[in-house]
Amino acid sequence: MTGADHPAPGRVLLRCEHLTVRRGKREVIADVSAELRAGEIVALLGPNGAGKSTLLDALAGALAPAEGRIERHGRVGIALQSPDLARRTVFANVTLALAWWGVPRPERTERAREALRAIGADHLARRRAATLSGGERRRVHLARAIAVRPDVLLLDEPFAGLDAEVRSNLLEDALSALRSSTRATLVVVHDRAEAWALADRLLILLDGRLAASGSPRDLLERPPTVAVARFLGFDGSLDDGHELLLTRPAHVALDPAGAFEARVTRASPLEDGARLELELDQGRVYAVAPLPAPRTGDAVRIRIDGGARFPLRETSAQFETPTYPPATPG
Amino acid sequence: MKLIWDEIQRAVPLILHGNPTLFSVIGFTLQVALVATAAATVIGLPIGLAIGLGRFRGRQVLRVLANVSLAIPPVLVGTFLFVLFSPRAPLGSLHLIYTRRVVFVAQAILALPFVVALTAAAVQGLPPGLLAQARLLGAGRLQVWALALREARIGVMAAVIAALGVSLSEVAAVVILGGNIYDYNQTLASATLYEVNGGYYADAVAIAIVLIALILILMCGLALLQHQGNGIRLRFRSAA
Repeated sequence: MTGADHPAPGRVLLRCEHLTVRRGKREVIADVSAELRAGEIVALLGPNGAGKSTLLDALAGALAPAEGRIERHGRVGIALQSPDLARRTVFANVTLALAWWGVPRPERTERAREALRAIGADHLARRRAATLSGGERRRVHLARAIAVRPDVLLLDEPFAGLDAEVRSNLLEDALSALRSSTRATLVVVHDRAEAWALADRLLILLDGRLAASGSPRDLLERPPTVAVARFLGFDGSLDDGHELLLTRPAHVALDPAGAFEARVTRASPLEDGARLELELDQGRVYAVAPLPAPRTGDAVRIRIDGGARFPLRETSAQFETPTYPPATPG
Repeated sequence: MKLIWDEIQRAVPLILHGNPTLFSVIGFTLQVALVATAAATVIGLPIGLAIGLGRFRGRQVLRVLANVSLAIPPVLVGTFLFVLFSPRAPLGSLHLIYTRRVVFVAQAILALPFVVALTAAAVQGLPPGLLAQARLLGAGRLQVWALALREARIGVMAAVIAALGVSLSEVAAVVILGGNIYDYNQTLASATLYEVNGGYYADAVAIAIVLIALILILMCGLALLQHQGNGIRLRFRSAA
């Protein structure tokens, strides 16, 4: 999907215009317009309850829009968040999906093998689904979605519930398996690090509305609103009376020659240093310091490189935006 | 205790000497049980699947009705059917009362709620993501039903076992509708009642022993099938 200001190569495979989706009487998605082009991998990000899964269900055709319209140019395949598999072997699960999709029987075996190989699950082919670990189940779940070769592939949190090492391995394999010049992929992720690793483009959904759309780098450098910046991990804020400067820990460095004087109000140990909460006259910022890190109560000087600036009068209405969890370090 | 032991001692020779009437009753009981269970399964499975998996209005009401019908005494069902099939009733023209056919009908009707309610419960217990994923990957209704049946096979087999149990052992409706006519439309259960009423306790015990043996053999076979799963897998493979 791309916003109107980010034309992407490839033809449009899926487009929604002014899409509104309700669950019962509650409006979960409101006035979302976007499109998805061949060759793109797009990450859909948002906090819990933002409507990501509902948007995916609507795009897949599982939920009818209350308003707006969806154009699909090709078949849409979806892998739901829960990797529920049939009580069969891994291989049988993939061929079963191919049967549902309408793939002729003679082609199923080869396509199933190919998909399992692509996602690094070919060694699991003969295993019973019930004997798989959480990571292996996710791998097979992804293989099933890739095997059917949809024009548009929608993935709902494919890495949810995995420990860091398993997630990292699956992410690496998924990156190459999902890349296709003819397919458009929209993947819902909860962790920003996954979005950065996978996606050409981000869509940020806040309270059911499309709050931002763009490349990961552009959005990090120029978040369009305070709410989007907060969501992207801009957890520090300095107010000079005219504008609000939002910072991420990467923007803040301890520097004896720095322009700002600050006091450490909290130091949380990390593997290779500490995450510091720094109190300034103008506000509060966060930094990651290497060892030996300052302690709570220490006075330090800091330098701020970058950050996102917002005129105060434009942001005053957005100060109540809830603080989202900080980004995964790195 | 001694009385029971004495009756069993008198009953065993009756079984071993091969009473032709007893064999006829065994044959009829097996016919009734298998046909009624098969009919209840063929009719009940789709209804159970529809109640368990469907998304239509009134589904909850049907589910409650299916559960309630498990608890209705067979004597009430027998009485209701007797009224329905009596000569001047709407289905009187079928001339079923006091026939062999009515025994099949009664047992199938009594077995049906077990298949419906237990099948619905079994498929409702499946992980919802599995069936939703199948639908979203293009599976049609029959494919989703085949998947649900296969995944819930242990529960579905329990439904069939329960239906078979009812078909083998239920007696009240059979007696009301069939008349419990000697050497004509008696099942093992109704024949036991007949012998007890006539004071032929040794014959009643003999029939009861055969009935229990039959129940044990059939249930063990089904339980093996239920837990082994191989036979079921072969049966449903073509549906996938």
